[in-house]
Amino acid sequence: MVFTYTHGARRTGYEPKGSLVKRRWIAGAIGVLAVALAACAPGGGASEQGDKAGGDKVTLSLWSWRVEDVKAYEKILATFEKSHPKIHVEFKPFQATEYPNILATGLSGTAGPDVAQLKSYGGLQPLVEAGQLVPLDGKVEALSGFDAKLLEGAKGHKDGKIYGVPFAYQTLQVLYNKKLFGDNGIQPPATWDDMIAAAGKLKAAGITPFAVAAGPDATWTLPIVHEIFGNARYGSTKFRDALLRGEKKFTDPDFTASIKLIKDLEPYFPKDVVAVKIPDVQALFATGKAAMYPTGSFDLAPVLAANPSLDLGVFQVPPPPGSPVTTPVTPGWADGSFGVNAKSAHQAEALELVKWMATPEFGQLYASELKQLSAVPGVTPPDPLLAEMAKNYAANGAPYTLLVDFRYGQPNGDAVFRDEVQKMLAGQTDPKAVAESVQKGVGQWFKPGN
Amino acid sequence: MPRWRVLAVFLLPAFLLYSVFIVYPLVTALDYSFFEWRGIRQTGFAGLANYRDLFGVYPYDQQLWRALAHNALFFAGTMLIQNTVGLLFALLLFRYGRGKRFLQAAFTTPYLVDPLVVGYLWSLLLNPTFGPVNSLLEAAGLDSWALPWLGDTRTALPVVILVNAWQWVGFPMLLFSAALAGIPAEYHEAARVDGASAWQAFRRVTLPLLTPAIGVVSVLTFIGNFNAFGLVYAMAGSTGSPAGSTDVLGLLFYRVAFVEGGVNAIGRSSALAVLMFVFIFGVSLLASSYFRRRERRLL
Repeated sequence: MVFTYTHGARRTGYEPKGSLVKRRWIAGAIGVLAVALAACAPGGGASEQGDKAGGDKVTLSLWSWRVEDVKAYEKILATFEKSHPKIHVEFKPFQATEYPNILATGLSGTAGPDVAQLKSYGGLQPLVEAGQLVPLDGKVEALSGFDAKLLEGAKGHKDGKIYGVPFAYQTLQVLYNKKLFGDNGIQPPATWDDMIAAAGKLKAAGITPFAVAAGPDATWTLPIVHEIFGNARYGSTKFRDALLRGEKKFTDPDFTASIKLIKDLEPYFPKDVVAVKIPDVQALFATGKAAMYPTGSFDLAPVLAANPSLDLGVFQVPPPPGSPVTTPVTPGWADGSFGVNAKSAHQAEALELVKWMATPEFGQLYASELKQLSAVPGVTPPDPLLAEMAKNYAANGAPYTLLVDFRYGQPNGDAVFRDEVQKMLAGQTDPKAVAESVQKGVGQWFKPGN
Repeated sequence: MPRWRVLAVFLLPAFLLYSVFIVYPLVTALDYSFFEWRGIRQTGFAGLANYRDLFGVYPYDQQLWRALAHNALFFAGTMLIQNTVGLLFALLLFRYGRGKRFLQAAFTTPYLVDPLVVGYLWSLLLNPTFGPVNSLLEAAGLDSWALPWLGDTRTALPVVILVNAWQWVGFPMLLFSAALAGIPAEYHEAARVDGASAWQAFRRVTLPLLTPAIGVVSVLTFIGNFNAFGLVYAMAGSTGSPAGSTDVLGLLFYRVAFVEGGVNAIGRSSALAVLMFVFIFGVSLLASSYFRRRERRLL
């Protein structure tokens, strides 16, 4: 925090000369302004503190939206500091919902981070287009070994340059309660019909088959539910590529049919699903009142935290009848990346850090400390369920296209989609109209062939 | 020191704070709204393009009018329920003074809690899976009343209006109480002596004399309702669940500015902020001058 004092602001008492008084008032006004502005600015940059720390040890400031990961990052970064004794990294997390604004402001001043955790795809573009990040092409050699699908998330949409080292990816599949399956004589389904039969059996036994929420806090999960059940039905990667080339539209009958699946499955969701919130379904699943949880790999840790004794399994949804793709699919996307602030005073050291973040050493630490899927190639998660998800993604991975490709303009594809799907579940629209709305929304800015 | 300078010394601090925290951001928003933005970089003068986007780009074009309509309903519902009940409470407390202080304090307690917290608490109470409200209704044999209150497009907005009224009913009550205390008792007595019924005395004597208070309450309710955010956000999320049936201007602004981000988020959200300000400011001015004319007729 910087405090600025001026004489005028602090002086009191009687002043005889008019013009002098006037000048001091102005000075005082400026003083008040300066203090007010300084109060608004984020805390002092770690770079400055590093210089003061003495010697030639450099302190890097690392910004993140993961407030809950402080301990894990401290442990991970301690390993980095051991092999890089001249660099000290200070992990500084912010509230996730405020992070994009805090970061954009931080990067514009001198008190910003040296290295920052970056959102992927559309969420990255405002920073790229404002020229706030250093392109890493040719500077971090290890990036050439990364999965091309995941690297897309760290690229500038217009210039195609890489602006971050991807740290994680998320996969989408169904978690299931092994005990409930066993009690009801159910196997992980091999066909769509098996899955529907199993859901019917569970429902008859008074168990909620699918823990799906569509309430106020859960609309963002609806495109995820759609991906899990419908990716194969709309044609997966092939359809996505045709969409990007402009050969197909969201109004395609296959895409409409994939939306209808959600409506068809509604009887197997919790009652009044439009009023059900995420903590409700997590509680249902964690307490054994719901048997299957169609969700992302990111939910494994919270579910197990709620009930560590839960015996869980994982399956990919078998392709529904009529699907153009006949093998199960595991949709996924790059979670985010770590990039270098273009205004950092310690570019070389910051680059050292992100280079290290592309090594298996970091990837392995990240996977074991945070129970997430590391984006570094060749890293196997120690958790067997995560390892299975990773294996499924490696074999049958496909992009979650509404997030990966349709967040580069406003309205976002998935923003229109989630609102319309919620409307559909509330009985106010039908699958065809949902598809038309999405096409209408993204059609205003999306140019095929890019 | 001349008199105007003494005045200036006293006015300066407030003026500075007002300028820095109110006038400056307003002018900035106006300025921002006329530019095209790439992240936090201004790239060029956009004229009215950001405003045109709000009215011309799907789905904002539909959401803007829908949100405005919901704000209007919110205002109408609040006037009808919160302020009428507030007036009733004030009259009862005025007439039957027993326990007045305690009741006034009780009715105003929900003030102390932030709307976000109130919204969260009520959404827990109304939760269809675990909430006590529906459990109580079912226990009382009123199963058909155990609705998904916040999950049905027909009940969600009315429920939000009721919860908002629950929180703020003490506000019109206090203002009306003060106004009632300021009406000389002779007027009411004279009307009753002349043979007016209790209702006639209220309708013909008390109510007209409350015009200034009604004006203040109406305008402040209007401003509060058209800026509604915290409560709706806590109960219905940023999208105005379910199916946008509780979407209001504050939520739309939040989505355009922060949730859907986008490269030009600053330009479009500033345009929306300016529109909201102009509308609320304009209507408030008109309403104030209307009520002032009504007051003058009383004299």
